[in-house]
Amino acid sequence: MAWTWFHRLASPPHIYRVAGRLTPWFAWPAALLIVAGLIGGLVLAPPDYQQGDGYRILYVHVPSAWLSLMAYTTLAVAAGVGLIWRMKVAHAVAASCAPIGASFTFAALVTGSLWGKPMWGTYWQWDPRLTSELILLFLYLGYMGLRSAFDDVQRADRVSAVLAVVGVVNVPIIHYSVIWWNSLHQGPSVMMLGKPTMPPSMLIPLLIMFVGFTLFFGALLLVRLRGEVLGRERTASWIREALRP
Amino acid sequence: MNNSGAMRGALRADVATAGGRDAPALSSLAVARLVLARDLKLALRKRSQLVQPLAFFAIVTTLFPLGISPELSVLKPIAPGVLWAAALLSSLLALEMLFREDAQDGTLEQYAVSGRSLTWLLAAKTAAHWLLTGVPLALMAPLAGIALGAPGAALPGILASVAVGTVALSLIGSIGAALTLGIRRSGALLSLLTLPLDIPVLIFGARATELAIRGEAYGVPLQLLGAIAVLGLTLAPLAAAAAVRINLE
Amino acid sequence: MAFLDMGGYWAYVWPAYAVTLVVMALNIIWARQLLKRSRKEALRRLSIGGNQT
Repeated sequence: MAWTWFHRLASPPHIYRVAGRLTPWFAWPAALLIVAGLIGGLVLAPPDYQQGDGYRILYVHVPSAWLSLMAYTTLAVAAGVGLIWRMKVAHAVAASCAPIGASFTFAALVTGSLWGKPMWGTYWQWDPRLTSELILLFLYLGYMGLRSAFDDVQRADRVSAVLAVVGVVNVPIIHYSVIWWNSLHQGPSVMMLGKPTMPPSMLIPLLIMFVGFTLFFGALLLVRLRGEVLGRERTASWIREALRP
Repeated sequence: MNNSGAMRGALRADVATAGGRDAPALSSLAVARLVLARDLKLALRKRSQLVQPLAFFAIVTTLFPLGISPELSVLKPIAPGVLWAAALLSSLLALEMLFREDAQDGTLEQYAVSGRSLTWLLAAKTAAHWLLTGVPLALMAPLAGIALGAPGAALPGILASVAVGTVALSLIGSIGAALTLGIRRSGALLSLLTLPLDIPVLIFGARATELAIRGEAYGVPLQLLGAIAVLGLTLAPLAAAAAVRINLE
Repeated sequence: MAFLDMGGYWAYVWPAYAVTLVVMALNIIWARQLLKRSRKEALRRLSIGGNQT
């Protein structure tokens, strides 16, 4: 039956084992693709006629921003699942996503700032994307701060899950309002960091980086998930077996 | 004070006996109205507490001219931002009084186990909160506007935008307050949780205020504010109730 | 080397890549530390409590 399959899938010992086995399948392809993307972005892609070699920051900035959004979405979905179906593993997934997402949001902001300085002269610009990333960072910090305020993991899981669900409903609203706000003062909303059209030679390394970063996120998530799952388990029976060296 | 403790208990008993599993004689709406009345009555006995967010609003508004310039011509363009930043911070401060006392004396727990819809009861509490803090803020905002160089014709627009905006702020704030219910010294965390969610309210509210000050039509941002308030009305008490239940377990 | 110069933008491109790689490395370290810590904790709880249910 579908449900027994689902419950077996979601059982902590099963997840612990499967996540352990899956990790290399994510980690090594990720490493390969990221290296390929780096070579493609730094060496093979041609310089831009407008931004010269400076645009190459795109190859780390955009995937970082993408990862920060993907992590938040995963977090919110997992938190919602955990809340509705009371699944510890789902809560463990949410907890795993937060530090990854927050750190890549930070990376996106720093790389965005470094991209901006030579392009428009200042280290910071209140354009829609950077502003939204900054707000996303606050959302992550709030989530992690709320979690850490509780000693009981279960309560931390469930309270922060409510926050995550509320947050994810808000994210489109916040993003829309920021775009709206930006367009009021600068004409039609121009994403200052971006390239309107990209030839394939520029686009392909970016796509490679996208996939590489996504797989990297998966690998990190699997490793953290195992740690989080262990921390939520009280029954000793399967742990003894699983942790046998 | 003994008086207020007895009164809190008496009013709480009213709510408890007014319905519940054995005698669901009253509709959820009626019980909610009881809760609203209770909260208003209790708060009006401590009027000094009600003034504090307003005084805070006045002081924060004053900080900006002091820090920037006494020239109204300089202040007028930034007036909407200053006003709304001050309003957001004041509403944050006022969130203290939303759940704190009821959580401490067990009233919230009674609400949760009363068999009545906790969502409705919290919605009623939030409505009371808005009446006690949002409405006075909306009435004060035009004064702050004048102090920052807004023309007289802008005052209705300022009042309307802050009145609608504070509805949304109270609702969003109720979620944060519910999430941090059991946490000691939750002030900074509450701000960190609530303020990012308040940003759309700030953006649309400030835009409405700005248009009002410029004498232009402010209908569009005001409607967007209203939309957020309506969305909040339907979702926030639900989320707050979920958070309260988890925290009371 | 023209590659290192990055068309004059070296002061921006290389720090950007460095920051990203540092963030990636830190993530790997933190994830492995978490797992190691959790394993140790779980084993400790096992030896204290014996067969808990």
